[in-house]
Amino acid sequence: MSTGRRRNLVPPALRSPREELAEATAHGQVYLRRLQRAQFGLSMLALVAFGAVFGVLPIALYLLPHFDRVELFGIPVSLWILVVPMLPIFLAIGWLYARRADALDESFRDLVER
Amino acid sequence: MIALLAVGAVTLGTLGLGTWGVRFARTTSDLLVASRAVTPWWNAAAISGEYLSAASFLGIAGLEMQIGASALWQSLGFTAGYLALLLFVAAPLRRYGSYTIPDFAEARLHSPAIRLLAAAIVLVIGGFYLVPQLKGAGLALNVVIGSPYWVGVAVVAVIVAINVAIGGMRGITYVQAFQFWLKLFAIAVPMILLLIHFGGLPERSALFGEQYPHAGKAGLTVPIGSAQRVQFPQAGSFQVGDRVVRVTAGEKLTLPANVDARIPAGGVVPVAQGTQALRGSRWSRPIGGTGEGSPLLVYSLLVATFLGTMGLPHVLVRFYTNPDGHAARRTTVRVLGLLSLFYLFPALYGAMGRALTPQLYTTGQTDDVVLTLPHAAWPGAAGTILTAITCAGAFAAFLSTSSGLLVSLAGTLSHDVWPRVHHSVPSGVAARRRYFRVAAGGAMVIPSLIALVARQVDISILVGWAFAIAASTFCPLFLLGIWWTRLTARGAACGMVLGMLTATSAIFVGLALGEPTRGALALLQQPAIVSVPIAFATMVSVSLTDRHRITDADAQMLALHAPEGLGLRLADEDAEGALA
Repeated sequence: MSTGRRRNLVPPALRSPREELAEATAHGQVYLRRLQRAQFGLSMLALVAFGAVFGVLPIALYLLPHFDRVELFGIPVSLWILVVPMLPIFLAIGWLYARRADALDESFRDLVER
Repeated sequence: MIALLAVGAVTLGTLGLGTWGVRFARTTSDLLVASRAVTPWWNAAAISGEYLSAASFLGIAGLEMQIGASALWQSLGFTAGYLALLLFVAAPLRRYGSYTIPDFAEARLHSPAIRLLAAAIVLVIGGFYLVPQLKGAGLALNVVIGSPYWVGVAVVAVIVAINVAIGGMRGITYVQAFQFWLKLFAIAVPMILLLIHFGGLPERSALFGEQYPHAGKAGLTVPIGSAQRVQFPQAGSFQVGDRVVRVTAGEKLTLPANVDARIPAGGVVPVAQGTQALRGSRWSRPIGGTGEGSPLLVYSLLVATFLGTMGLPHVLVRFYTNPDGHAARRTTVRVLGLLSLFYLFPALYGAMGRALTPQLYTTGQTDDVVLTLPHAAWPGAAGTILTAITCAGAFAAFLSTSSGLLVSLAGTLSHDVWPRVHHSVPSGVAARRRYFRVAAGGAMVIPSLIALVARQVDISILVGWAFAIAASTFCPLFLLGIWWTRLTARGAACGMVLGMLTATSAIFVGLALGEPTRGALALLQQPAIVSVPIAFATMVSVSLTDRHRITDADAQMLALHAPEGLGLRLADEDAEGALA
């Protein structure tokens, strides 16, 4: 009677995320879209950080000619700012982003392999 | 002489490593993407090595000397482009598995027509980028052994074509990595030694103060090759050939061919027609000092380089040599570090050149500054050796970038264009290799011819155009294709075509009008800030109103964003099978 039917039913909550994804169910799409959105958000955050520094730099140097007149070791500070900070800041943003993005991928992997 | 030996050594090293690479170039996929087995450090050095072209090695310093510190924004833009790649493109595209941009376009949008369109755009961008490399070669060989410009162009064209045909890309990976370190050494060491020799930057009043570039205490002799029209910023008396000429401030004169112009000690050097003489205070302003340094142009340049790097064909292909998305990210971070390190130095060459080799202002060939500075600044054995080093570095620059570009162009021609045009697919590995090699030779012809006639256009300007086109075509394709499910083939095609047309028509109108720099007209020189939004807007609006939707968008997103190793997507080996 109902015992036979119950033996053939698998409650939806017990299907693994991997199965959901592999069979392209709506549930599976939710998992992936969540990851995708998290990755996109992270990328945008890094972009904003980059823009806050380097996107603003041209207009800042334009509006503040003071930096052209102050000199450090005989070279105007505005030129120092243009050439030197690139190295540490790009590396910092890039490295932090890569770590976080890999972590997002890892947690997704854990979710799916459960 | 020593410079010639150094250049010869670099060239032989390139060919030698390329030949060693032949052992590995057994299949077409080897030829195209080095079998994806290269580690992040090798790959990062190779990417950086290939990326640092004549524009970075010679062009930035040359342009800086010409138009001032606003040229330095290029370094920032070139590096920032890799950050954009890291944030939005590197990992997803590597996971997706396409070998080339046209491959990605067709697989993502299910349209063979878009593959052909993308291939055509690859050829245009690659061509625009290859021309300045060949120009750099012509200049460099002219400085090293005094050969005519066309000889340098021809020699490098032939060497690169041969190297690519026999080694494909696998050989070239190791070549590029070696050449990055060579280039870094070649640009850093001579400048460090020069700075120590001079105790800092010389002639600071000409650099940052109120003076124009002028001759030193011993006066300056400028050999004039072909007739040159010049303008004298200040009044004075000069010797042209064996005549003494008195000029007033602002006077223009044509210097006849094959004479020496002699500038007295402290005299202000005349500048070539079409260029502007700047006082140090204006020259050294990073923004707003000159027409070319206007905020509008600077931002347009930053947009072009930030968004255009991902669309350069020779850049993207090398990402496919990483084993997975995680490695692709790690590689890109290392690239950021390596590039930033390199770009500390070109700025110094432009500045020191303004002080010590002002004769380049008279001939207008400021792109020569990195090559001529060490010997001019430090006469004697030291200067000769340092010049040899920078010349070797310059050669490494255009050999490596030209190789990378040619591999992409040849691959596109043989893999994407030929089958579609001739309705036949070459069967068998040997046939495909033959097509690739023929394509390598063929693809070199037109850019070489253009380089022969484009001597007067600055290297940096040419490169800026390649970036503008890439930013207006492939950048929207990638950003929308990777992160937006609603992109359609029609939308992508319209966007790319419109972006391409906007950018190229602006470029040609600018050329015809002689590169104006007043107000908004300056954008003709670097149209990215206009063409990129147009491309994006077109892609989005056409896609949203397109009735033909991509039906497997969800599977596409899976292929792009699901991390590897979960058995969820078509494995890489299967994708490789599709090509072999």
